[in-house]
Amino acid sequence: MKRFGTLFWLEYRHSWIWSVALLGSLAFWAWGIKQVRVMDVAERLGIRAGLLAVACAIGAVVLCLMIGRIRAETRNGQYQVLLLTPPSGYAHIGARYLYAAATAFAYFITIGFLYWWIMALAGIHLDPTTLVELILAVPFYAISVSVLPLLAWTLLLMVFISAYRISGPGWIPGTVMLLGTPFAFRWLVNGILRITYTLPGWRLFANAPAALIERFGSPDPETALQVDNIIYNGVPIEPLLIMLALTVVLLAVAGRIWQEVEA
Amino acid sequence: MLARLENVTKRYRTTEGVRDLSLDFPAGQIVGVLGLNGSGKSTMLKLIAGLLFPTAGAVTVFGGSPRGHRSRTVFLGETDTLWPWMTPADASRFMEGLYSDFEPVRFNELLDALEVPRRKTKAMSKGERGRLRLAMVLARSAQLYLLDEPLAGIDLISREKIMTSLVREWHTDETILLSTHEVAEAEGLFERAVYLRDGRLALDVPAETLRQEGKSVVQTFKEVLA
Repeated sequence: MKRFGTLFWLEYRHSWIWSVALLGSLAFWAWGIKQVRVMDVAERLGIRAGLLAVACAIGAVVLCLMIGRIRAETRNGQYQVLLLTPPSGYAHIGARYLYAAATAFAYFITIGFLYWWIMALAGIHLDPTTLVELILAVPFYAISVSVLPLLAWTLLLMVFISAYRISGPGWIPGTVMLLGTPFAFRWLVNGILRITYTLPGWRLFANAPAALIERFGSPDPETALQVDNIIYNGVPIEPLLIMLALTVVLLAVAGRIWQEVEA
Repeated sequence: MLARLENVTKRYRTTEGVRDLSLDFPAGQIVGVLGLNGSGKSTMLKLIAGLLFPTAGAVTVFGGSPRGHRSRTVFLGETDTLWPWMTPADASRFMEGLYSDFEPVRFNELLDALEVPRRKTKAMSKGERGRLRLAMVLARSAQLYLLDEPLAGIDLISREKIMTSLVREWHTDETILLSTHEVAEAEGLFERAVYLRDGRLALDVPAETLRQEGKSVVQTFKEVLA
């Protein structure tokens, strides 16, 4: 545990500027949201929500860049030092991943707060349960199905590229992995879509549409039917389970490959 | 036997680092690993450290795989491997957290002896960083020390401090494999000299034998490798 704690501390010392910059960028997004002054309330809410969606995408990219700096460490020789330390590759991978995941949670939970803020600015008042869901459960779900596996994949790719680069055709597995990613992603998404709602859904954020209807008036019957349908099903639980399992597998493979790295 | 190489070949993409190399390193020796640039010194030390894997042959350290015994081995590479934000205090925390044989008190004594400033490595000179790295590894109580060019690019005063520390900190049950181009300066340290040429073993001889023949390590270096 002491060794894992040291590796986590090392990652923190190594990456805290990235984390602070990422979290600090949310002040910029908050400022940007305040600058949206479209007259129509619904349109203003839409633009502000769109800005936060952009912040989510940029945050995911920055997190991938942060966790994928193994190549730079390989070039600078620091990887040599890490490879010779007693902790296993799994501990090294775990510490790096845990730090990035903690930063991701802090970032996306803050974005959850910003969504609450833009809703409040639009006059939408959420009940306490929905508010907690918006700030905690929705970021957890969103991160788990997208950012967490993406970070694990980035880590695996970087370890893969570093592993066999010195001797042998080390570039081949890394290139194959990179080129094959879009196909694997497409296959994964198709597979998940086919089995979605096989299990009972998670009634996450179920009361939010009611708040929207209360603020913006009753929708037409057809839309109401759709909203009811969504409320009834909740969000599918399958993507969450599959992506979390995939994340664990990717991390386990990355930890194993770490043992093969030459430096 | 602390380390053994049996018919080891390490092939890079287009070249060979070492070829059919067989050597034994028992406990309690300071061994000079000598050779010209590209002779395979770094490759050999990295193979023993477990940083590289042999293409053919076998490397055993403490009777097992090098990676499996990395907590008992010290490797000091020729490249500057410290993080720029790291201070000596950070280095101490890093080493203490990862190595059970690291002694912080000894580390601080070594910092004083080697006159390492207490500031971030990015604000240190190359010599100061080299001395800090040496203090980090010498503050451990390992049995096998693999020092790859610890004197390279370091000023004369720092080199003398490093050599003095090496002699003072060495225990008779420990083995040091020291690769250096500063053969003349390190000559007095060596009990055994291993000369490599083009990745092959050119000569493996006890320093005492050379002295009995009226030769120095430097003289033999020139004869064998010129």
